[in-house]
Formats: sequence, structure tokens, C-alpha cells
Amino acid sequence: MSLEKSDNPVDSQTFDEVDLNNKDFEQIEDADTLHIMNNQYVFIVLPSGNIKVLKLQKDTTVSLGKFGTFHTNDIIGKPFGHSYEIYDRDKIKVIKNVAFHEVDLDESDANNQQTIDDPSKQKLSYQDIEQLKKDGLEGQDIIKKVIESHSSFDKKTEYSKAKYIKRKESKFSRVFTPVRPTLYSVWEYFFAKNPSKIRDMRIDTLSQMLTLSNVRANAKLLVVDDTQGLLITGVMERLGGYGVVLGIHDGENHNYDIVRYMNFSKKVNESLMVLSWQQIFKEECQAPFNYQDESQLSGKELKFYLRKKANYEKIQEARKILWQGGFDGLLVASQYQPESILETLVPYLARSRPIIIYHINREVLVNTCVHMRISGKFLNPQITESWLRGYQVLPGRTHPSMSTSGGGGYLLQTIYTRGLLGV
Amino acid sequence: MTSFLSYKTFIEEGDLVIAYMSRENMTPLIMDSKLTYNNKFGTFRHSDMIGKEYGTKMPSHNGRGFMYLLHPTPELWTLVVPHRTQILYMADISFITTYLDLKPGSIILESGTGSGSFSHSLARTIAPNGHLYTFEYHEERAKAARQDFEKHGLSDIITIECRDAYKDGFGITDLVHAVFLDLPAPWDAIASAKAAFKQNRIGKICCFSPCIEQVQRACVSLNKHGFVEIKMFECLIRNQEVHTIPIYTVKDAVSKIKVQQDKKRKRNEEESSDSKAAKSAKIKQDPPNLYVSKTPTEAKGHTSYLTFATFLPVLDDEVDRVN
Repeated sequence: MSLEKSDNPVDSQTFDEVDLNNKDFEQIEDADTLHIMNNQYVFIVLPSGNIKVLKLQKDTTVSLGKFGTFHTNDIIGKPFGHSYEIYDRDKIKVIKNVAFHEVDLDESDANNQQTIDDPSKQKLSYQDIEQLKKDGLEGQDIIKKVIESHSSFDKKTEYSKAKYIKRKESKFSRVFTPVRPTLYSVWEYFFAKNPSKIRDMRIDTLSQMLTLSNVRANAKLLVVDDTQGLLITGVMERLGGYGVVLGIHDGENHNYDIVRYMNFSKKVNESLMVLSWQQIFKEECQAPFNYQDESQLSGKELKFYLRKKANYEKIQEARKILWQGGFDGLLVASQYQPESILETLVPYLARSRPIIIYHINREVLVNTCVHMRISGKFLNPQITESWLRGYQVLPGRTHPSMSTSGGGGYLLQTIYTRGLLGV
Repeated sequence: MTSFLSYKTFIEEGDLVIAYMSRENMTPLIMDSKLTYNNKFGTFRHSDMIGKEYGTKMPSHNGRGFMYLLHPTPELWTLVVPHRTQILYMADISFITTYLDLKPGSIILESGTGSGSFSHSLARTIAPNGHLYTFEYHEERAKAARQDFEKHGLSDIITIECRDAYKDGFGITDLVHAVFLDLPAPWDAIASAKAAFKQNRIGKICCFSPCIEQVQRACVSLNKHGFVEIKMFECLIRNQEVHTIPIYTVKDAVSKIKVQQDKKRKRNEEESSDSKAAKSAKIKQDPPNLYVSKTPTEAKGHTSYLTFATFLPVLDDEVDRVN
């Protein structure tokens, strides 16, 4: 069956942008090859801290705006982790990364007693810097010039010197870092870009959902995901291509956009099945498929027919799997009322299996929690709030981050049980 | 035998059941049809439990109370494991698992094993084709954890060794994708951990330390050994207790006073007239209820600091230099 599938074009409903038959995807089955590869998504962290996402194509150049340009062939095949500096317009060299430079505190007795806010201390004007660039100066050279032209740089404390250099680097440095898509980096990108699209779900909360639901190889899970596929992505990764995740989606076609950025192998992608809210109901008939004689079709027509047929059969298979029941858990991050989701999907769960419902609004879960208690089928439903705090850990300067996310959302968790009367 | 790597539906002889009385009161039971389990809720015969579905609400033999028969998971195991050492908490376990990028196929180093509670979680996530190398310098603890792994069907996934990581290192080179150090002095194990990493790919390390001084020393050591992207986090879970509360209005407040005044007046009348006045027949109306939640009065405020860093793959020219 899997052979047959690999011969067919990929189900257009799932991942039309990823060519799963591409040879490169087979390579990442091997966890040892964590290299930058052709035809895969990669995040590029710019000196400004901004992140650019792109699908690498060999033999092309990528423009990073004012930071410069690089040839994709120069990074394809390299391991992830290193940074690169652009020089001579479009050439790159590896930069030795360090976590931080030790600051010698005893050497300096500088303080900010004499500090006055005076822009004229910087002798270089915007025009001067533009001229330097025209003269062919790049990255580190410009930063050096800017520091030299600061009349009271020496009077700064070591800390504020470091801060000043960092600020200038974010502007003039030409160092970029290709970052491997992982659940964390993909989340980071989408959370920064548009948190409401992933229902404001923070990574610690998402991680708790994956732990609490006991997702692992060979599990069979029901997931209601209105987070653009973020939750589904996490579940798919933890299944590792073993087992099934059945995603129940809003609208006629699913919108699990985030899945593709993980560069999942064909095997992992195949663990995902999808059904719409309409397709899960037995009484909602699916339009029967008009089977045709394949020998009568050719070329484009045949391709189109086979794709439609595969689509139809995949949905039929997903319905069969759902109605068989016995699912190992239910994960919900949805816009729809949790009580109605429970009523619809809980009958397909096996007993002693976890149910985890996420919401950014606690009030929604409070109602569901009371509903669960009354029903008697759910063991000790509990609401928890996720709390996360990041720190700066530079030597002598360890403190919590000055700004942080305001909240990570709430989880309602329980275990589906069988009551005394057998229900 | 029950496995932590797959679910089964019905309870059989020899299976592990997590008997759940309440969130604070759970116990692991291994089914033996000759045995009986007694607690304050009554008598529970194993023979009555065998054949039942996992997840069943089980009445006691003498009808005094009931308990739930749950299928073991690493999370439930964390709550019932005999506390041989301080165990990690769910929020930490979850965050570490994601940050270290763990999934089926990952190869991990853990030190120390402690009660083996986190090892269970790790093994669950990296099975069926990953591997966990876990080190514990306390001989008895290592023995107990090894027995647990065997009983729980995890021996193929976990290799446990009794070893002093500070003195002898880990004895592993060029192999693992991620390292987790739950040691009092992680800085003394970082050099050895670095060697354990698969050298040609990116890797992640986590140091789990309760004190800020440990974090600072670990960071200096990580930096010295060439680790980058040093980040530190704290994560917690705050419980929210759900209640139903009545919401009274000012009108209710006024009528409450009136009822009190009424009572007083009647008592006075009773005393003076000595007659049995009819009780005030005012029907109390139930106010509308509101579902609310509140944080508990006392909650967990700190578990440990999670310090993460990235291992950089060795570049080809660095390999040349080493050779």
C-alpha cells in the first residue's frame, strides 16, 4: 500500500508545496544527517534579530536586504549551528560563534556619573557611514569605525560598551544564521509573527499538551487543531511516523499550514489523516466517487483522476478509523465550544486515556470543567495555567528578562473513565 | 505485562495498575489474583480487577468506597514512584523534552538517573528506535531504577550504568544528540558531556539546577567549552481551583437585614405575648450561580532553573586540526 502511494502524486489536500517524493526527504530519516538541504525550509536569523523563512533552492541567490546576498549552494550540505558572514557582496565565511565574552570587571572603574545624552559624541554622520559603505567597507570594519568615532566610548562601563557594540552589530553586521526548523524554532517564528493565528499558544503550554497526552510512537490520537497545524505538528513529530493522528478541521479543507515547515519525511507525513467536522458524522453522506476505467485515461487526465481517487479513498479510510474508535487521547485547541467537541468525539476514545483542552481564555474552560464534573465520566478534571520566565545569564548580569509574554494560556486535563454503571 | 510503550484494554494477571483514590493518593499495584489490596475505602481483590477495562471505576468488595484502575503512563508513574530523590515536575519535563528536540529516534544522555522518573518520560518519547544512556552513581538507586525499566518494558530503550560522572566521565564519545544533567556540579561533567555529543551535528544540553549560583557557574563552563546560545528558563504550572459560587445582589443584602429584623421583632413579641407566632414563611430564592476559578493559597513557587545551550558541530578544518 505504501508503495502504491509513493507512485501517486501527493494528496493535494495535504501538502501540495512539499514534494514528498524528493530524494532529500529520505535522507532525513537518518537522524545523524542534520545538514542544510536543498528544497527544504530553513529559518534565517538576521543581525537585526528578525527571522526570514525560505525554502532553499540550489543554484539560486538569496537576498537578505541591506545585510547582503548569498548563494544557496554555499550553505547546502553544511551542518546547522554555525553563522556566516557575508563579504565581497555575496561571498560567505563561517563565523566562530561564542555564547558571550568574559568581561573583566576589575579593570574598569567607569560609571555613568558623567554620562550625558549627547548625539554629537558620535562624530560619524549617516552620510559618512553611507560613504564608508560605498568605499567598500563592510560589517565589522564599519562597526570598528563607529566605535573609534565615539568621543567618549572609553568612559563607558564594560557592560555598556558591550551593549553599544551589540546595538551597532544589529545594524551593520553582515552575519546571518541558518536555523533548523524544530518544534521550538517553528513555534518561535509563528508566535513572534502572529500569535493570534496559533491561538496565543506558548511553547511551554504546547509541550505540556504533548507530555500529558502521552503522545509517542504507535499511538492513535484525535486532535482538534485551529492553530494552523501547530498542535498537529507537535503530535506528528512525536509519533515519528509510527501511529496515526486524526485531525478534525474547520471548514471544508484543512489549514494545517505550519506542518510543512518541519521538513517531515514522507513516513511522518503519512501518519496524518484529516476529516472535516461534517465528514465525521455517519449521516452526512460523502458524494460517491465516480470510478472510471483507468486504461481509458491518459496524461493530465489520469493524473487528475488518480489524485481525486486517492483523496476520496483517504477520507473513506479516515472515517473508518474514526468510527472504529479506541483512540488513545484527545487534544483540543479550538475555537469551538469544548463541551460540544467532547460530546462529539469522546465516544471514540478508549478508557483510561487523557483528554487535554487548551484555551487562552480561562472562562471557557471553567464552564467545561463544571460540565465534566457533572457528567461523571471524567476523572478529576483540572485547570492549570502555564508560567514561564526567561533569564539573561551573562556573567555578573543575571536577571529575568525585562519583557516577557503576558501569559501562556490554560489547560483543562482529565482522564476518560468508565463509571460504576458501566457508562 | 503492561508496557509504558503501548496501551492495552483489559487488565490481566501480572499487569501494572495505577490505583487512583485521589490526586494525592495513588498507588501502583501488580496484579496477582491471590492478593487483596486494602485501604480506607475498603477491600479490593486483585481477582476482581483482573478482566476489567483500564479506566474502570472499581467499587470495593465490602462496598465502602471505590477507586479508579488506571493504565500506567510516565506521568502517572512520576506521581507514584517511591521518592528516592527529588523528581522533576511535569512543566519542566515537558519544556525540556521540546527544547532538547526529542522525538522517536533521539539518542540521549541523562545523569543522574535518580528515581528513574524522567527516564520513563524520555524513553516513552524516543521509542521505538531511540536510545537513552543514563548514569547514576548511587548503587542502590541504579539497581532499583534498572529493575523498574525491566518491569516496564523499557530495557531495550534504556542503558543504565552505575558510574561517577565527575570522576570517570561518561565513557561515551561521538554518539548522543542531547544531554540532560541533573547534577549538583554540572560544570564538572560538561567536558565529558561535550565529548559524548555526536560531533558532526548540532546538539542541545540542559542543566537542571535549583540554585542561581549553580546556573552562573554552569554558564561560565558551557561558554568555556564552546557551547553557544545559552538560555535559562524557569517554568511552573499554576493550579486553578474551580468552584460554583452564588452571586448575591444589594437587594439580597437588604432583604437579609430585613429577615434579621423580622426575627428579632418576633422574638420580642414572643417574649412579651408568650404566643407561638408562625415562622416567617418567606421563601429564600436561590441566587444565580457563577462558575469561577481561583489559585490555591499555597502553590509551588520554584522547582529548578533550566539552563540550555547548543553544541556546535565540529567543522571539517577543526577535525583536521585535532588529527
